[in-house]
Amino acid sequence: MSSQKTERLINLTLALLATKRYLTKSEIFKNVTGYSGSAETMERMFERDKDELRSMGIEIDVKALDPLFEDDQGYLIRSETFQLKGNEFAKDELLYLTMAANLWQSTALGNDSKAALLKIQSLSGPIESDVVNTPEIRDSENSSMLATAFDAIEYSKVLTFQYNGSDRVVEPLGMYTKTGFWYLVAKDENSFKSFKLLRIEGKLAISGKQNGFKKPENFDLVQYLEKMNNETVLLAEILVRKEQAFALRSKYVVSEFDDDWDLMVLPYSYEPEIIETLLWYGENLIVLKPESLRKSIKYSLKEFIDG
Amino acid sequence: MVDTAAIRALRTMDLIPYILENPGVSIRSLSERFSVTEKQIESDLQLVFMCGLPGYTPYELIDIIFEDGIVSVIDPQVLDKPRRFTKSELIVIALGLEILIGIGSSNPERNQKLKALSEKIAKLGSSNSVSFTPSGNNSIYAELIAEAISKRKNIQIRYSSLVKDQITDREVAPQRLYFMNGNLYLSAFDYGKKADRIFKVDLIKQCEITGTKNSEADEETNESLRVVLEVKKSHRNFIERNSSIISSVTENKDSFNVNIDISNIEWIRRSILSNAPGISVLSPDSLANEMRQSAASVLALYQAEK
Repeated sequence: MSSQKTERLINLTLALLATKRYLTKSEIFKNVTGYSGSAETMERMFERDKDELRSMGIEIDVKALDPLFEDDQGYLIRSETFQLKGNEFAKDELLYLTMAANLWQSTALGNDSKAALLKIQSLSGPIESDVVNTPEIRDSENSSMLATAFDAIEYSKVLTFQYNGSDRVVEPLGMYTKTGFWYLVAKDENSFKSFKLLRIEGKLAISGKQNGFKKPENFDLVQYLEKMNNETVLLAEILVRKEQAFALRSKYVVSEFDDDWDLMVLPYSYEPEIIETLLWYGENLIVLKPESLRKSIKYSLKEFIDG
Repeated sequence: MVDTAAIRALRTMDLIPYILENPGVSIRSLSERFSVTEKQIESDLQLVFMCGLPGYTPYELIDIIFEDGIVSVIDPQVLDKPRRFTKSELIVIALGLEILIGIGSSNPERNQKLKALSEKIAKLGSSNSVSFTPSGNNSIYAELIAEAISKRKNIQIRYSSLVKDQITDREVAPQRLYFMNGNLYLSAFDYGKKADRIFKVDLIKQCEITGTKNSEADEETNESLRVVLEVKKSHRNFIERNSSIISSVTENKDSFNVNIDISNIEWIRRSILSNAPGISVLSPDSLANEMRQSAASVLALYQAEK
């Protein structure tokens, strides 16, 4: 039973793909193998088949063949919406595509990576794995959450989840990765916010249907991210013990201070982040300026000791 | 789980262009690539014999040869090219290309091509709602290391260790490059230490390919120390970043108790101090005391300074 239906779906797709002109339903019922029974049965079969193919992302074009009779419609699948072109990519491009998709093999996007690789290899034939020794990405994200979020953004569906202990109902607008983690950008109660996917508690659920909200016209993901990264830059003046803190020395300019210490100026915008960087070097580093940063470091250390 | 007819129809249609480009492919390899059983692949292929274009004479049916576990396509009919990439496949490719551009900065000619390819992919409909933020500290040696791994060659590196805060020269047999938390790492066998080591690639200051890889790779078993930490919720970044070495986490009201197996004691000391006061040591006591003392000596520096 199921096998017959699969066969019919394939034959229908092939017929609609091969035809140069729009096929009417009666032509389909007469010529495509697998349609049988009363007119009504075939009609129902066809409607279901069409919906299923569409839900799998296949675009079926419809055209009224006779403007006077709405019932007389024609169907076809445009090859360019269904298949890649044979000459779409050059040989070296296929290699780069393979490398790009390969990166994600062991991540939460592993299934999409695998599916993309299959299609690339269906254009290129086998590519020696030695040629494509690219690094792989490792993450601890949740694939179904990523898929839900992508879907919600693509089709403007409202998302619900728990975050920092409270219930959120948001309009998802974009996703980005930063230092290896995925973030969701969404409109939450009239402001744009970023949510770290890993911190979403419970289920990330779609609530409501497609086009459930209107994407704000003034929102642009790239601009939003730029704004987020363009915080005011402050400068920290620090002393670094000689022959220590090599990683910092390779990034910033150093000048001699005395026999034991060198002077370094470090830009920063977010205090907790710079404190983490500086305390990593323990006794081999002291902050001279600004006073506020010195104060925070002293406070953190006191808290830790009294813990 | 049983596939729906539509899922099976798509997979069957995807098989044809794949086999066409990879003639003589085995059923086993198809089953691995398409993530279904060999039996399922066989039954999908049986189905293909029945499919084709209206008319359905032998000239209009899809024609494949299928024997001794090997498959080739004689006539694919219209299925001679793969289906277009889906939205999420395009996202994977587009982000992957961004990363390749990031690590390939030492090769401008290649990067030019990668950028042109990125634009092509964007035109195919990749989403502008997804973005990748490069970490910006990728090494110029990533490509050279990848080459050494492919050719099974050793490399000589000058490494500026963040944990030991030393610069050392080492000969290593590179094994794998991988991204974690946005940084590129190299896992390699260190001949000097006679053990596997992880290197952060942007801290490799010099690198050259030396000779062929020695066969010796008898790994030294690292003894590890079980440490129990209390991590405040405000510092949960630490848990998220180090999930690969954390063996268990239990949640308290404002913090988490974390069991972590440490092979590098210097690393945990620096991590705890740099997160102060967000992480405290519950056990062993010796480490807790030691950490309090080092915090006290850093504090003393600030109090001595005018």
